[in-house]
Formats: sequence, structure tokens, C-alpha cells
Amino acid sequence: MRIRETIMKKAILQGGRLLAPMLLALSLAVTAQAAVPGITGGSLATGTPATFNLTAQTAFLNQPDGSSVYAWGYGCNGTPSGFAPTTTPITGANCPSMQVPGPTLIVTEGQTVTVNLLNGLPAAAGNTSILFPGFNVCVGTIASGTCTPSAAGTNGVVGLLTQEAAPGGKVSYSFVASSPGTHAYYSGTQGDLQVEMGLYGAVVVLPATIPVACSAGLPLTNPGANQTAKAHWGESDFRRAAAAFDSPKSCYDREYLFQWSEMDPNIHKQALAQVTATQGCAAGAVGCGLNVPTEPYHPAYFLVNGRSMPDLMDANFAAEYPHQPYNGNPHMHPGELTLIRTIGQGRWQHPFHEHANHVRILARDGNMILAPDGTNLAGVLMFNTDTTPGEAFDGIFYFTGRGLNWDPYGHHPGDASDPSASLSCAPDANGYNTGAPTAINYFEWCQDHNKPLEVAPLGDVGAGGPATLPNPNIFTNGAWYGGTPYLGPDATLRAGGTQACVSSLANNLTATAANQTSPCSTLQPSNIQANPASERGWAYMWHSHNEREITTNNVFPGGMLMMMLVDTREFVIDESN
Amino acid sequence: MASRRLGTLCFLVVLICVGALSASAQSFRVQCPQSTITHPSTLHDNNSEPAYSGPTTLALNGNGFYAPTANVNGAIRCQQVSGGDGYSTMANGVQTFMFSFGPLSGLADIASGHPGTEFPSTFNTPYPGTLLPGDPATTDGMVANTWPAWPTPLPTGSFTYNGAVGVAPDIANLVSIYDISQGTAGNTVYVQTNAPLGLPVNGTVTIAGTGGVPPAGYDGTWTITAAPFAFPTAGIPGVTNYGFPATFNFTFTIPTATGLADVNESQTASASTGSVFDGHVDPRQIMDIGVMNGSIPAPLVAFDEDDEMFLTLTNVGMIMRPDLFEQHTIHFHGYPNASAVYDGVPDASVAINIGGSFTYYYLSPDAGTYFWHCHITPPEHLQMGMVGQLYVRPRQNRVPAGQSLYTYLGYQNGIGLPAASVDLRTACNPAADILCSATMPAGGASANPAVQGNDKLGQPQKYAYNDGDASTAYDVEYPLQIHGFDPNFHFVGMTFNPEAFADMKDKFFLLNGRSYPDTVTPGPMATQSSDGRVHYSQPLPAIINIPAGGKALLRIADLDVSEYQTLASLGIPMKEIGFNAKLLRDQAGNNTEFYTNSITLGGGESLDVLLDASDAGCGVAGCAAKLYPPGSTFYLYTPNLDHLTNDQENFGGLMTEVHICNSVTGGNTFGNTCN
Repeated sequence: MRIRETIMKKAILQGGRLLAPMLLALSLAVTAQAAVPGITGGSLATGTPATFNLTAQTAFLNQPDGSSVYAWGYGCNGTPSGFAPTTTPITGANCPSMQVPGPTLIVTEGQTVTVNLLNGLPAAAGNTSILFPGFNVCVGTIASGTCTPSAAGTNGVVGLLTQEAAPGGKVSYSFVASSPGTHAYYSGTQGDLQVEMGLYGAVVVLPATIPVACSAGLPLTNPGANQTAKAHWGESDFRRAAAAFDSPKSCYDREYLFQWSEMDPNIHKQALAQVTATQGCAAGAVGCGLNVPTEPYHPAYFLVNGRSMPDLMDANFAAEYPHQPYNGNPHMHPGELTLIRTIGQGRWQHPFHEHANHVRILARDGNMILAPDGTNLAGVLMFNTDTTPGEAFDGIFYFTGRGLNWDPYGHHPGDASDPSASLSCAPDANGYNTGAPTAINYFEWCQDHNKPLEVAPLGDVGAGGPATLPNPNIFTNGAWYGGTPYLGPDATLRAGGTQACVSSLANNLTATAANQTSPCSTLQPSNIQANPASERGWAYMWHSHNEREITTNNVFPGGMLMMMLVDTREFVIDESN
Repeated sequence: MASRRLGTLCFLVVLICVGALSASAQSFRVQCPQSTITHPSTLHDNNSEPAYSGPTTLALNGNGFYAPTANVNGAIRCQQVSGGDGYSTMANGVQTFMFSFGPLSGLADIASGHPGTEFPSTFNTPYPGTLLPGDPATTDGMVANTWPAWPTPLPTGSFTYNGAVGVAPDIANLVSIYDISQGTAGNTVYVQTNAPLGLPVNGTVTIAGTGGVPPAGYDGTWTITAAPFAFPTAGIPGVTNYGFPATFNFTFTIPTATGLADVNESQTASASTGSVFDGHVDPRQIMDIGVMNGSIPAPLVAFDEDDEMFLTLTNVGMIMRPDLFEQHTIHFHGYPNASAVYDGVPDASVAINIGGSFTYYYLSPDAGTYFWHCHITPPEHLQMGMVGQLYVRPRQNRVPAGQSLYTYLGYQNGIGLPAASVDLRTACNPAADILCSATMPAGGASANPAVQGNDKLGQPQKYAYNDGDASTAYDVEYPLQIHGFDPNFHFVGMTFNPEAFADMKDKFFLLNGRSYPDTVTPGPMATQSSDGRVHYSQPLPAIINIPAGGKALLRIADLDVSEYQTLASLGIPMKEIGFNAKLLRDQAGNNTEFYTNSITLGGGESLDVLLDASDAGCGVAGCAAKLYPPGSTFYLYTPNLDHLTNDQENFGGLMTEVHICNSVTGGNTFGNTCN
């Protein structure tokens, strides 16, 4: 896995008030967070039309076992009208002429969407098309919500499920983005082969009316403070919108999109062999076609957003994967409502296990699941969200550490040398420290504040708790383990995870460049790779629980696996790369 | 200057570490305190589950955190499991190698089909005799080549021990005495030791080797009166060196003696802490019992809401695969708001090496059906068998008889409290918490009149969740684990060849580690391992006994690593009441439970269904007596018809029997009797 170092210059320039506490976080920041990058069809205003010019083309996909897999995918036919997010663009955002998954089309509820598809596949591959399940597609033009079908022969060729684009030809689809949420699009032509080859993507429809309650973020537990906390630490907002639906129950603070699929390399090899053998043939001529068997099916690559772990956790638009621009590398702060947008794009279903907490299903295929009163949520709570072929769901996840019965921040009011050892925790009506959005223990679960975990003292973290960690010689640290049980750099240092940092610890709220130079991660070298001293997040595996799918071509680890990190506030989550 | 301060600090830290290490130098250990800050033994007996009368009273203490002061709920629970290897017997008779967990506490309970989770008083009890390899099967009288004994259940009566294997009394610290002297006046004894003993005031110290016993000498067990103790600079008879640090000194009194002679620089005098059960173990017992003793499913874990749970994993190594140096972990699957360190993911936490023990500490999460498994190389370790069941019983089970379930759910949710303050940890307020479901049932108290009563076994009514309306009440409960074994993978796993994951194909479809007809064999199943001993390899049958007109709670977890599986009920309706360890209820309080005849689960998923043989299941008064009469047999089976096989046998697979009984005696779960 490749790790990037990023300096967020813009935030540093915001002023001295921010500079000191942020230096620690920024100087060593290893950030390749996920966001939901995509393209827009022009304005996102609900009354304006959105137009996307796509192609279907071939390219090779990189896999972590070193192989290049021949694939077909949708891409941009020319520069798209815009990239999203727009206010804080993703570094290197682009839209190649072929990518897997296809470009994420971001539109607003009520927009009339036109997708013009050019079939750039080899002639032997035949026609191709796009289905937009859940939308009422017009093969023609929509004016004032009314579809005027194109005259026969003027818009693609007749196909089984929809109009298709012949090799080298075009077809145009229009629909009104009628329901918010996450939706799929994929080939409607010989789907067993074309979707397998990579012809799929996502449509994200933003709600037309953001509920007032959502625009401030997490309204019901904490009016506005998540956004205040973000602003304090100079953290950008990477949401597409403040709500997933036109419902105050769908507010969120952060969002990630995961598209699940699998590939049988034999199918891809056969397709490549046959395409190569028929190169230059004339579309429709005798012998100019493919006969690739798609059964029996033995997938060996298990993909999220077109990538396998560990590539999955690299940056969006990383240069190594020119045709797999989207990553899966979620980060979040305690208490942030995180919207998980998920689509099953393959032919198998995968049990997507979210470590650390449950997910509340908001909607299936853009349809909110509500109680009979029409307001309250009725979607099921799951720690294992099925990703079913063709099905999209939106769900809300969060993490706070509530109920652990010990203080994740390792607070220790007896430690006079470190001011952040004796931070206060003032519970709101729900028990969280939400009145202090600028504190690093913002959203701490106050019932466990100052409560020790360990029987013996650990560094400067107090004693008297219930548990004993054994001699470190009898266990092996993981690459994402911070070296102590505690959350965040401040607590980790105080717990003696890294003795070299003790001297700077006392001043860590007034850090200087000088005391940042000593490496704060002597505990195990592996931490430098995955969870640096400036982050020390709690890492959780998010993966397919059909465990053989967390392999890449028979090698573990790989496949449908990523690490989600919960970070304290002093670590600035930067999703811009 | 800064570096010097750092040096001093480091020195202190090193001292602290050395102190901590000296208490935990042993690699195999268990943890099961009798008292904690959450469950102080001064307020409450931690060896039983108290009735729930309302939230625990918490108050801010002198250390700045909230601790209970009254009305303590829950208790302390402990369990020890081994990580290693073992063999199981498939329904076609084939012996199958596994990477597996085995029981190292609650051995008799596990053999009886019950959880191996114990209270401290049981857990911290050493075995009175000598544990034999293969136990409990060896002591129960199992000898090699006697399996299968079907349909006669295997003997489980002789072996009744449920403590932690290996647990032994420990003298945590013993130091030599430099000088011991009684002052010129009074009964006080002054002691200087050559290293800190570490005991506080009121600690119990044992003095030995000073050459005399009371009333004439110092030897005996005493209560410390001052420690650390700064010696005066002079004036104690016989004392020659007053320069010892205070932590090296302490005092106690001998009421019956004064003026005992000074003993200085004795070669035999020592002071030690008393003999206690502090988690110290005898590793030989652990190796004797733990090696080659894995089972499928892994040992059953169950405890109650509000408990503190100490789950110790002891890695005894894999005899058949010494090349692997394999580490293991425990992932508590579904634990809400889990900490990373106890989540068991080796990448995000620590992995336990061979020869070591690690204790996972949890405060019990919300009630529900969870499960656990090793998280090292999951496609391998799960397929090979390192998968177990785990469930948490709800607080509502502990509501006093005759009390309103609705009212008591209100107490948990901070509504209408009797006196004490709200415990926000137990509260579900859907307006604030999008991830909770045990909210108040719709309709208010008048629409939810259920009170705590008795079940059809005559025991206090049990529930799957804190429902407030008795919608999850049941009479008998059975954890069912769905799993699959690929015999090719297990063969390769026993040899030294690379394993192929992509073409993994299960050929044995397991309910509680067995395929039909083994699923209906009562008692534990045994397998002779390569150590020549017979081990209880598959302790759990899958026989569902239901009292006539009753309801069976099936706690179903699927750990299959390669495909989805469906389980269907022939005849008796299933009522799905919980999913992924959450009550099926919407935010407005409407139950979203539903009747079905089949459930489908992927690996890593769990749900709760009531096998409803009551009139509610068939819908008309008196219908159950006609449709599900005592003596009748029904089936749970998989409609994945290719899963009704035992490898080459075109028969068996994921199937078991449901018996309707005149009455059920001998408990509400596996091991009971259908009359």
C-alpha cells in the first residue's frame, strides 16, 4: 500500500490560533480518505438539466497481485461539466474515458438527467446500453416532465431491455431524478458478461429540500456543534449535502460510497482473447462477436469500488490505478453520523460486516423505510449489511465508545504535567460531552470519564481499573494498533505508548515545530505505515464476512477489506486526496 | 535540563513497569477479580445476578469518575478458552482436522450443552484432583474407539468441575527481610525489607523464617499498620541502618508480645503477600487439557446485561501444524461501540502468540444474539473451525415477579424512575440515538399490560430482548450455529500445502458443528484425536424440545465463510423477533417482527426467531393443541437442497428435529428432557 504525506496548507494559513494544535496533526498526516467523489452534469440546482456524456471502453485494471485484468467500463466522453465535491475538490480529480466503477453521477432530486452514451467497445463486443433501475427512463427528450420518445432510428438501436448503442454508435437516455438516495446504473445488454466486465456505476441523488434541522449537523443530539468542531480544527466539509433524503431523520456529517462486485479472471481472459482474435472485424459481420461462457463462475477478485485491499485504501484518483479512481478508506470522528451508501454491483451477495457498531438502514433503492407515522425510521439495525446484486441501500453509522466502562481518552486528573489529562466532560442530555466542540474529547461518553481500564498504571494513565494487559512479549502488535488501548495521539502518548514523546506531551497544546521532529512512534515500526503517531485512531475492519472474499486471487489479505478509523478531533480528517 | 527530567521520568516509568511485570511475568494467566470499581464486592455479591429494581446509583468519587454507590446491577463473569487445534467427526464418519477453540473453564457445563461462563467463585476454584488429558471425557469414562455410541448419549456425569483449568493460589510477592524489630515500647513491629513488598495499609503480610512463632516470635500472618513507612533516624533497638526508602519499610503489631529481639540480616527471614487466587495458573494443567482439545462450535459464551465479562484466550499452540506459529484472537462480533483493543482484529489490536494468554474485557452490551470467532486470517481460521456462539440475556429477565414489563423498561429508558438517577447507558431514546431499538412499545402502558410471570417450565419468564410487552418471551432457548466445512480445505489445512480460497466449496453443512443425523444425537459427541485421547469435539446437539403450546427461542448465527444458507421450518411457524442482536422495533415503538417459515443468513449474521408452537403461531385459540400435539416431531432443514448432504452421502446435512413434549424438564436448553 502506498502512503501519502500531505500538508494542508490552506488550513495552516487560516491563522495562528489554529496553527499550534494542528501542527501535530498535519505534519505527519497520512491521509487518503474516501469522500464520495463524482461528476456533475452542470448545475446541481433542482430546476436545471444535468447532462453526462459517457463512453463504454476497454482498459486494464490493476490488482494487488500484480495482474492487469482486461475490463470494460464507463468513462467520460470529454471533460465533464463539473466534479463533486466542488467546494473542496479532491486532489487530482479526473474522469478518464474508462473507469470501474463508472463515474458517480451526482444530481439533485427533480433534475432532468440526460446521459449520452458512446459505445467505444470493440466491435466484437456488440451493442451496449445503460439501465437506470428505479427511474422512469425516456429514450428521447423530457420537457416539463413529459417524455417525447426519439423517432425510430434516431436514438440508438432496439435492444431487449432498452435502446442500445451499436459499436461506434450512440444512444441517449433521459430521466427525472425522482427519488433521492443512492442508485445503481449498469449495462442492460448481455449483463452476465458486460456487468462482469465492469460496466456499472452509481447515481447519487441529493434531496431537493434539505431539512432545516440537518443543515447545522446532528441536530437532535447536538445542535450545530459537529460543524463548529470541524471549523475549529480547520476541517473541510466533504458532504454532498447535509441530508440523504428530504427527512430530518437522514442528517449526516460524513459519507462514503461502496460498490461491491467480483470478477472471474477466466471470463476476462477469454474476452480479451476473443476480442484480440477478432480485432478489426466489422460490427455485425459473420464471426464478429464474442462467445464467452459466464458459467461455471469462479471469481477470484473481490472488489469494492473496483479495487482490492490494500489498493482500496490508497487515495482517490491515485496515479497507480488510472482506471480505478475511487477508494474505500473511511475515517470519522466520534459522534459523527456517517452515511454509508452501498450498492451490490456483482452477481453475488456479500455480507458487509461493519466492525465497531450497527448501521441503521435508511432506505433501499432510494426508498426510505419509515414507521407507519411517516416520520420515524423503521429500517433494520444491522452489524452485517447484505449487499445484494442490484440493490442499493443508504445507512447511518456512528461510533462514540458509549458503554465501554473505561475512558478511551485515558484521562487522569492527577497528572498535572499534561493539561489534556484533566479535561472536563460535561454530559448533555444524552450523556455526551458536546458542549465543548473545540476540545479533543468532544463527544466523549461522560459516564466513563476518568474511569481507569487497567489495574496498574500505564504511563501517566491512572490505575485501579478492572483489566490487566499482559506482557507485550506474548502478543504481536498490528499495523494499525496504537501501542496502547487508548484513542488518539494525546492519550496514547500519555499512556506511555511512545516514551520519546513524553517531553513534548506536557506542551502538546502549545506544540512547536522543534518538538515535532522527534518521532513519536517508537513502539512498533509498523505504526508508521498505517496509523501514525499524529493519528492513533481506533481501527476497525470493514469487510465481507464471506471471509474467502477478503482474498485476492487466493492470497490473504486482499479483496473486500478496508480499515475504518475513528479519530479524535485533533487529527484532521482530510478527504481531499 | 529537559533530557534530565525525561531521564528521571523514564526511570520512574521503568520502576512502574517492572512492578507491573513482576505481577504478570507468567505468560499463561487468567483474570477474574472478585471485585471491581463497577461491581464492588462491598456493595454486592458478584457471584449471583441480582433482581433489577432500577438503574444502578452512580456518584462521582474522589478519583473523578462515576462509581456505583447503591443498587448495583449485574455481576462479574469469567471464561477461559484455549486456541489451538483438534479433531471433529463429520456425519459420514470422517475425522476432520480443525483449528479450534476449546474450553478451559466450565468444562462440565460445556459438556452438558451449557455456556462455560462462570461467576468468580466458581471460576477461581482449583481442581481438587489431577486433570487428565482428554478431560472431561477421560474422567467421564470415555475410552478410545467407543464412538459412536449413538443413540445412547455419552456419559457426562462423573466430571463436575467448572473452574478455570490451571487456576492455582499465588504468592504474588515475597521479599527477604533485612531487619525486623519490635520497639522499646508497645506492640509495634518495624520491618525493613530488601525490596518493596507493595502491600498497603491493612494488607495481610506473612512473616516467616525469623526463628520463632507467637507469642515468642514474629512468624505468622499480620495486618499492616503503616506502609510505606519512613523510619526514624534512630531509636529502634538493634536497627543498624536507617537509610532504607519508605517503600521498603512497613509496620504491624503483635498484640500478644512486646520487646521481641531484633533479627538483623537473617538469611531466612522473609515477608510475603498472602496466598490468593489472582489469576496465576499452573501451565501444565492448561497444556494437559487444552492441547488437541478444540471443539466445534467453540465454547458457548453467555452472560447478562450489566455484567462485566473477562474472557481469557490461552494459546496452547497447534500440535499438527507446528510450522505455523499461529496466533489467535477473539473478535466479539457485533459488540456495539467496540474498542479497537478488545475487538480482536490483529491488524488493529494485538494477536496472542503461542504460550500466552490475553484477557478480553467487556461491559456487557445490550441484550442480543452475538457470536465470536478468531480474526487471524479469517478465511482460513473460520473455515477451519474457530467460531463460537455468544449471547447476552436481557435485564428484563430480572424484573421482579408481578411487576409491569412496560414500567421496568421505562426505568431502563429513564422514564418514571422509582428514585435513583437515570442511567443513560441503558436508555434507548430513538430521538437521540439512531442505533437503538429497545424503545418503549407503542400504545403506552395501557396497551402493554404484560407483567413478569413464569414460563411453561415453571421458571421466571425469559425474554430475548428488553421489549416491555413480552413479545420476545420464550419457554426454551437453543443457540444454533450454521457453518460449513470444506473437507478438501481441512485436509490441506492439516498438511503443509498452500490453501486455495477462491474455490472453497463446503461439503458439510453444520448445525452446531454437526450434520443430520448427528444433530439429533443427545449429549456431547466425542472424537479420538491424534494424541490417542477421546475429546468432546462437538458438545452441542441441535435437538429442539418444546413444551406443548410453548415457544422456543432459536438464537441463530451463521459463520459460513463461503455462501449464504437458508434454514426453514416444516410446520411450526418462525416468528423473527430480532436481527443482528437488535430487537425488531421501529423508532415509533411498533414491533416489526414477522412470521415466516424460513430465514436466510450470510456469514457473520445472526437473528432470533421464536419457533412458535403456541396458539399465537397458528392464529386461532386451541389450534396449537391440534397442530403441534405432544409427541409430534417437526424438522428444521435447509431448502438449499444441495446442503442436505454429508459430502459423498446424498443424505443429511443442515437439518434437525423439533420435538413437542408434554413437558420439558432438566433445563430450558440443550441437555433437557422431552417427556
